[in-house]
Amino acid sequence: MTTIIRITLKGIFRDRVFQGIMVTAGAFLLIPVIASLSMRQVTELSLTLSLSLISFILLLLSVFLGGTSLWKDIERRYTFSVLGLPISRQSYMLGRFGGVALFVLLAAAVLGAAAFAVVTYSSALYPPDRPIVWSTMAICILFDAMKYILLIAVAFLFSTVSTSFFLPVFGTIATFLAGGVTQQVYEFVNSPASKALSPFVKLLATGLYYILPNFGAFDLKVNAIYGLPLPANGLFLSVAYFVVYVGLLLSVAAAIFARREMR
Amino acid sequence: MMRTVSSGIVCLILYVALIIPFTTYLKNKPFVEKLGYVPSVTALKAVAADHKELVAASLVLKVLMYFGGLVEKADNQVAVPPDYISMSRLLHGAVKLDPYNMDAYYFAQGFLTWDVKQFKLANDLLDYGMKYRTWDWYLPFFAGFNSAYFMKDYAAAARYYQRAGELSGSDLSKLLAGRYMQESGQTELAIVYLSAMENGERNPALKKNYQLRLTAFRETRRIELACDRYRETRGVLPKTVEQLVIEGFLSPPPKDPYGGQFYLEADGKVVTTSKYAFKNVKNVK
Repeated sequence: MTTIIRITLKGIFRDRVFQGIMVTAGAFLLIPVIASLSMRQVTELSLTLSLSLISFILLLLSVFLGGTSLWKDIERRYTFSVLGLPISRQSYMLGRFGGVALFVLLAAAVLGAAAFAVVTYSSALYPPDRPIVWSTMAICILFDAMKYILLIAVAFLFSTVSTSFFLPVFGTIATFLAGGVTQQVYEFVNSPASKALSPFVKLLATGLYYILPNFGAFDLKVNAIYGLPLPANGLFLSVAYFVVYVGLLLSVAAAIFARREMR
Repeated sequence: MMRTVSSGIVCLILYVALIIPFTTYLKNKPFVEKLGYVPSVTALKAVAADHKELVAASLVLKVLMYFGGLVEKADNQVAVPPDYISMSRLLHGAVKLDPYNMDAYYFAQGFLTWDVKQFKLANDLLDYGMKYRTWDWYLPFFAGFNSAYFMKDYAAAARYYQRAGELSGSDLSKLLAGRYMQESGQTELAIVYLSAMENGERNPALKKNYQLRLTAFRETRRIELACDRYRETRGVLPKTVEQLVIEGFLSPPPKDPYGGQFYLEADGKVVTTSKYAFKNVKNVK
């Protein structure tokens, strides 16, 4: 499996994905200029922009790498030659997932370093009212990466049942959007404002709330931007949720992939 | 091969011929930053996914660019009344997306009070912000000023200033808390407030706004002091501002930067025909 992980990482680098990220990361250079337009919170704005840029790049990476990795192998018939080797389909798939996930972590680390540099620069020019909590910022980026690794697992699950890249790519984007609002929808359904809704819709919304991934838990941007304290208990629960949910998705994906017919 | 080269050359010539009128057209296109229509905040929240803070910040910047454009136009003697309703709507949307966004509160406070006279709305917004920005002394400082100066609710003002004083640890707010218990020295307090706002401002459009208002209030204060001196010497209140100037109590004559005329009310209160706002702003609903 480690060999597959290594090959996956090599493949990603060979496709010049990393160079692509670096070009996009050039946008970091503009952040101090844009942030200086703010009236009262230049540092906060540069943090907002940096974290959003990281999140956006990681989203693209997880959707496209996660959604196309398996599909490309099947399309190019790599799977035939690889699966002829003494390696189980499950560990092949997990290796592919591991490679993409590791790349996203690496990208988050590199982009995170760039964000640290940008925010340091902005805060030196316009000292903020509140001190920046660097550890919160690091945890925020780590949780962002975790969120997108979870999304990669979703993309892999879609890949195992799909014959084209449409379902993995669009399915993943849809899951990302839905996973971001489940908490709001759930709160609305359980509030007095939703009296007019039919019980069936409420039941459906509640069911989806428990089934769909909940990305809201991994969004710590407000805490990082305004230096708000992080709830230790909540962080622990979120990590546990991440581990269990990714495990669940990968188990289902591995079971489907093992039975899949490949022609 | 020949065909490719010749078609390439034709395209290049056409490009050169086109690029000048094309860029001229774009350069001359009037720059209007419109506030436009912004979908409901609930919809924005869903679409913004994990970029709520970014969307909030971009809404605030949009309002700021729009306002900056208008200030520039006013410099060139083109009076366009600002669309305060849309500005307020966008800023309210921004704080629903990111209740910690200070720029939104700060900017809303800037125009909701002096220009639109929606003091209750301004203080409701500040109260909402105080629930989140629990460390920030600016919000109660603003709310205290609104309560006392505009709404004449001195009890509320004292409460807000008390909180601002506790949060900032500075004596200014505590001093104001005490002074606002009585209805005197309003002009001087407006000067203190405006100086604090003007000092921290980096945005040129807003800074200019504060400077103008500050100049107007300093002129008012000068007349008030002259009135006091007049009363001490003559034992009666002066009838007009001109009287103060002619009899040597006020020199040079006061000038309202908003283009109005200062006059005295029967009780000696100094007011101006401009009401501390440019003419074009007055008629905005």
